[in-house]
Amino acid sequence: MVEVRNLAKIYGLGEVQVRALDDISFNIADGDMVCIMGKSGSGKSTLLRQLGLLDRPTSGDIILDGEVVTKLSDDARATLRLQHLGYVFQEYALLAELTAHENVYLPGMMLGDKGVDFKRRAKELLELVGLGKRIKHYPKELSGGEQQRVAIARALINSPRIIFADEPCANLDTISSKKVMETLVNLNQEMKVTVIFVSHDPDDKKYARGLIFLSDGKMIKEGS
Amino acid sequence: MTRLFRVATFLALKSIVRGNIGIILLTIFMLVLVTMNLLFVPGLISGATVSMNTILVKTYSGDIIIEPEGDKTVINHAGDLVQSIESIDGVVAASARNNVNAYVTFEDERVNCVVIGIDPAQERAVFDVADSLIEGRYLDSRDRGEILLGVQIAGADLEDIELYSSSLRHVHAGDKVVVTYSNGIEKQYTVKGIFDTGFIQTDVQAFVTDLEFNSVMPNMNNKASSIRVKLEEGVDPDSIIDRVAGMRDGLAFQTWDETAGLVESMTESFTLINQILNVVNYLIAGITVFIVTYVDVINRRRQIGIQRAIGIKSHSITISYLIRALFYAVVGLIIGILAFKYLIIPVEARHPFEFPFGPAYLTTKPVYTARMAFILLVVSLVAAFIPVWRVMRIKILDAIWG
Repeated sequence: MVEVRNLAKIYGLGEVQVRALDDISFNIADGDMVCIMGKSGSGKSTLLRQLGLLDRPTSGDIILDGEVVTKLSDDARATLRLQHLGYVFQEYALLAELTAHENVYLPGMMLGDKGVDFKRRAKELLELVGLGKRIKHYPKELSGGEQQRVAIARALINSPRIIFADEPCANLDTISSKKVMETLVNLNQEMKVTVIFVSHDPDDKKYARGLIFLSDGKMIKEGS
Repeated sequence: MTRLFRVATFLALKSIVRGNIGIILLTIFMLVLVTMNLLFVPGLISGATVSMNTILVKTYSGDIIIEPEGDKTVINHAGDLVQSIESIDGVVAASARNNVNAYVTFEDERVNCVVIGIDPAQERAVFDVADSLIEGRYLDSRDRGEILLGVQIAGADLEDIELYSSSLRHVHAGDKVVVTYSNGIEKQYTVKGIFDTGFIQTDVQAFVTDLEFNSVMPNMNNKASSIRVKLEEGVDPDSIIDRVAGMRDGLAFQTWDETAGLVESMTESFTLINQILNVVNYLIAGITVFIVTYVDVINRRRQIGIQRAIGIKSHSITISYLIRALFYAVVGLIIGILAFKYLIIPVEARHPFEFPFGPAYLTTKPVYTARMAFILLVVSLVAAFIPVWRVMRIKILDAIWG
């Protein structure tokens, strides 16, 4: 369960303050698939980064499974990200010097659970996202859609309970976008992973069971 | 902890294998140069010091100097003592010397010097001066009226020698010079030979046979101002000194290094210069690694941000950069040390640096090399740590998106 309580993020630009998020509160149940929508600059990505523990809110709390995570140390947040959260960036964000396979199993090495063969699991995940034959390719040798699917596989390596995807199809063509979104839907339905994704495309609503709509940093709609 | 290092090693390895080979080679090349530079100066100083010490022992002091103790000015029954000393195991030879101050005059030039009365056979056994003649011949035991001059006294028309302006300037073998001893006796000598050992303290000396010396200083018969002892290689001077001290009272002993005041001050100056150059070299090494790491982390700031975002611990990323710095330094050190030992030293041995006191051969000392390697590794690690530590303090989002 993800609970968000009165979340606010204020960026200071000299004397001018920008309220990127303003008093946001909502709950997301385990296994849900939620889309955060809104116009450009509405605060969608900012909200996702707070939820993904990549940034700290100015005020308010994020509660994961009953634990307030907003005030945790950087190290504790890194551990939490590693163990329970997966993050898919808008721009693929793969490591250029690593192959697709290495990109996927790297976070697994960091977690290092005994008895888990992360290299084999990474291979299985790449097969799951349809890239079983591309595991030795470097990011520059993959298309945008393929890179994004590698990023999704990477987000899954540590069997996270929640995947955050920040406009995962923003840079993709229609066919690739469809493949990526279907991959996320499959993960949600078959592996029961909670998926929270950001999109500005109204068509993407169809993939979600829940919707959070933002405008100028305020939540103006929550529901399905 | 193991995981941190495993991931760090993985990242470092991939980065080295798949990184920009040109930058990696250039960095290693810089560290090879730094390593060779760090070895070169102390190697040269060490070689020059060995060369100076060798020439000091072989032309000036011998391994042990025996002198009369306290207020006494002479060693009595010197011949007996020399024989006794030569019978000790580990002693190659001993030579009794008598010194007297004198003026040597040639035409309008006059030089103040020490004239030493010697047994030429004993001296040849202890010293190498006989091998340093540039004109004429060495003394024979029965020579009378002949003198051997150091080049710094004779001048020998060699205008580039250090003390030429205060020398007799134009004296050559066969010329006649007048020696005025401190007891007032004045005598003309034929210059039998001129020697140039390269060691200035030796080359300001003049030698006559003890036969000749006793004729002008009859009270010095069978006496010596000092006895110089040559030892076999590796023999401990202190053990010989103990043996000689047990033979007779009233003797004072010095080992060759206790007489090496001039050499010591030169060595100290060289050491200071070396230390200054070493600091500069370590700075160059540190700055090289710092710049390479700094440029690298700036270029990879986004990648570092992504690594942190996907859960790679900052410590792992930092350690990966330290491993890379260590890799550069270790490879640079290995190549540098090997190149110095198997390329520079052999080449220099064929074409040694010529110093006034003789050729200096480059050497390496394992202790110094190990210490230098350790310092260079530490410098490289610190230099790599600073830029990485700074990037690690940047927020993840700022690292990724600027």
